[in-house]
Amino acid sequence: MRLRRIGLGHALALTLLAAAGCGVAGGATPSVSGKDHLVIGVSKDQPGLGFRDGYGAYKGFDVDVARDIAKRLGAKHVTFKPLASGQREGALRAGDVDMVVASYSITQQRKTQVVFGGPYYVAHQDILVRGTDTTVRNVRDLRGKRLCQVAGSVSWQRVTQERKIQAQLVPASTYGQCLDDLTSGTVDAISTDDLILAGFAAQRGNQVRFVNAPFSDEKYGVGLRPGDIGGCEDVNKAITEMYQDGTAATLLKRWFGSTGLNVTTTVPQFEGCG
Amino acid sequence: MTITTNPPSSPARRARVPGRLRIRTMPGRIRALAAVAALAVLVVVLVTTLTVQDARDGLRVIGHDAGPQVVATGDLYFALSDMDAQLADALLIGGDRGLADRRAAALRTYEQRRSEANRALLQGSRLAGTDATEQRTAQEMLDALGRYERLAGQALQTDEQSNHAAGPPPAAVTALYRQATDLMKLDVLPKAYNLTLDNGTKVRRTYEAKRSAVLNGRIWVVLTGLLLIVVLAGVQWYFIRRFRRLVNPFLALATVGTLVLVVVSVALLSSEAGRLRTAKEDGFDSVLALSRARAISNSAHADEARYLLDPGRADTYEQVYLDKSLAIMYVPAGNLDKYYTLVDEKIGGSDFLGFFGTEAHHVTLPGQQEALRKVLSGYQKVQANDRNIRQLATGGDRRGALSAKLNAGTGDFGDYDTALVSLKNLHGRAFDKAISAGDHGLRGWNIVLPGAAVLLIILILAGVRPRLSEYR
Repeated sequence: MRLRRIGLGHALALTLLAAAGCGVAGGATPSVSGKDHLVIGVSKDQPGLGFRDGYGAYKGFDVDVARDIAKRLGAKHVTFKPLASGQREGALRAGDVDMVVASYSITQQRKTQVVFGGPYYVAHQDILVRGTDTTVRNVRDLRGKRLCQVAGSVSWQRVTQERKIQAQLVPASTYGQCLDDLTSGTVDAISTDDLILAGFAAQRGNQVRFVNAPFSDEKYGVGLRPGDIGGCEDVNKAITEMYQDGTAATLLKRWFGSTGLNVTTTVPQFEGCG
Repeated sequence: MTITTNPPSSPARRARVPGRLRIRTMPGRIRALAAVAALAVLVVVLVTTLTVQDARDGLRVIGHDAGPQVVATGDLYFALSDMDAQLADALLIGGDRGLADRRAAALRTYEQRRSEANRALLQGSRLAGTDATEQRTAQEMLDALGRYERLAGQALQTDEQSNHAAGPPPAAVTALYRQATDLMKLDVLPKAYNLTLDNGTKVRRTYEAKRSAVLNGRIWVVLTGLLLIVVLAGVQWYFIRRFRRLVNPFLALATVGTLVLVVVSVALLSSEAGRLRTAKEDGFDSVLALSRARAISNSAHADEARYLLDPGRADTYEQVYLDKSLAIMYVPAGNLDKYYTLVDEKIGGSDFLGFFGTEAHHVTLPGQQEALRKVLSGYQKVQANDRNIRQLATGGDRRGALSAKLNAGTGDFGDYDTALVSLKNLHGRAFDKAISAGDHGLRGWNIVLPGAAVLLIILILAGVRPRLSEYR
């Protein structure tokens, strides 16, 4: 009789404990922390940042950063999934990917949709023109010029909406196509992050000119599912370690060392998880 | 709380084992029953002690360690960020005679912030605690600040030599200022801000772990307390049956004592869990959010000065100003003009997000609403000044823009900052109150609990002694 009563109490206590435990771990939102297998969204067409090589392997600074963060989070397997710029929030919210590392600028608008760890790097938007063009010295000189517009990217919005510069937008599917359009004369300028443009400039030599008049701070964040606060804190810890042990500097040198770009090798100011 | 499934069951099992093994002598049985009861007392007191310890740990980390460090690192960020803002003001004024007083004031404030920042960094242990990584971060910041001060000194000297009119200084000065401000923005400030965030993480995690440990521990206190009462009642019942005695007064007293102990412990633990929650949700969360809002506001305010100081980077400074403003108070605006309009439209309500949105959607303290209104109307003025300054600057009236910035721009920002600090302090007081109430509630419990254990065991022994003596 006595034993039975204790057994009942036990069962009750265990149930309560289990219920409380779930609440703490955030049962509703699966976290990237402690997951064995992570699916990471990356871009497949951004030279130097995230691209697929001839053998189908993902490469680039973002890809290496993603791998490093996943390792520090304790993941044993990583699968990369290509995402176009416009798909990133949706893929996170639907649970198709656990994490997005794809030159994904932290904006206050996007923060209403997803959680951002990092930034792991702060890039700057700049301009690329043809080598013979001497008229463009800063973003305001884009007035009336034909500017390449890639869907889902914030870059053209920064020019025509934020800075209200009346450039003529010419749509393209990728920045790679923009580069071809620039050299063939279909567009007059490409404006996006310096990390991408510097890669293009290194590729095409005198054909193009990197204007070097940065006009924004692009905080590259690690996109996470809404509510994954614990995962976000762990991602920030991983990024801090990545900078402190020199990994970040090595990766920046590997991917952008030859571009002559002045990269920052100290840990960026985090956005905060809450 | 590390109590698992063992403690409540072990006394029960032991209760049966001696019953079966040592059934032969009556004194042996009585002793065994007394031992079981004493063991149950120890279990109750141990479980209660461990749970009280969880509450104590929670209060220590949140109230006396990471919590205060959030304030300290927030103040450090403000001092550092304001150094760079004052430097920008001084360089903007240059050799303008009419504004010489204003320049001297900026340099005085610069010096004051410099010594505040240095003091905070030299007391690195206060900021970083014993964590080796954080200690290293504090040391790196101190080194970087040294480099910053050297660059700032050179920029000021070059600026004085150039004796330029109010407005953007010559290229040589701008080049030095860029080096200085980049060092501050890319190296020093991120470290200070990330330390604040780290401490926020520490508080959040401790809170979740310790609060649920206290709440679960409370259940274990009740369960083990019930077990003790059952054991005591069992002994009582056995004596009544076996020796045909009336109720044993000592055992009855021990039972009542157990009941009182359990009720008082559960009440204490409930109120400790409640105080942890008040400290975290009504105090700490807002202190953290408002410290961050203050840090971001100050750096946005400095971006306004840099926008005037360095036309070559004006576009970037304007973009980051908008981004920071959106973080402080989010309304769906794609550019600054739209932002000013929406701020005017929505500031009276609470239909916005960002740091102010979080604050406006969680009004729990007396006086919070009024203090928040002051902050919001201050913010609206700051944005109205910003609009005016940028309009003057883009219209070509750089002198007008500068004087708008130095007069209304600076004064209103100061008022806004004061309002923000007093709102933050309002939450800080709620936090301190909850923490000291929590500390006060736990005071003496490291004496009460062993004392209760000793008292209960004495009562049990006193209760069984007359029965044992019948066999002498």
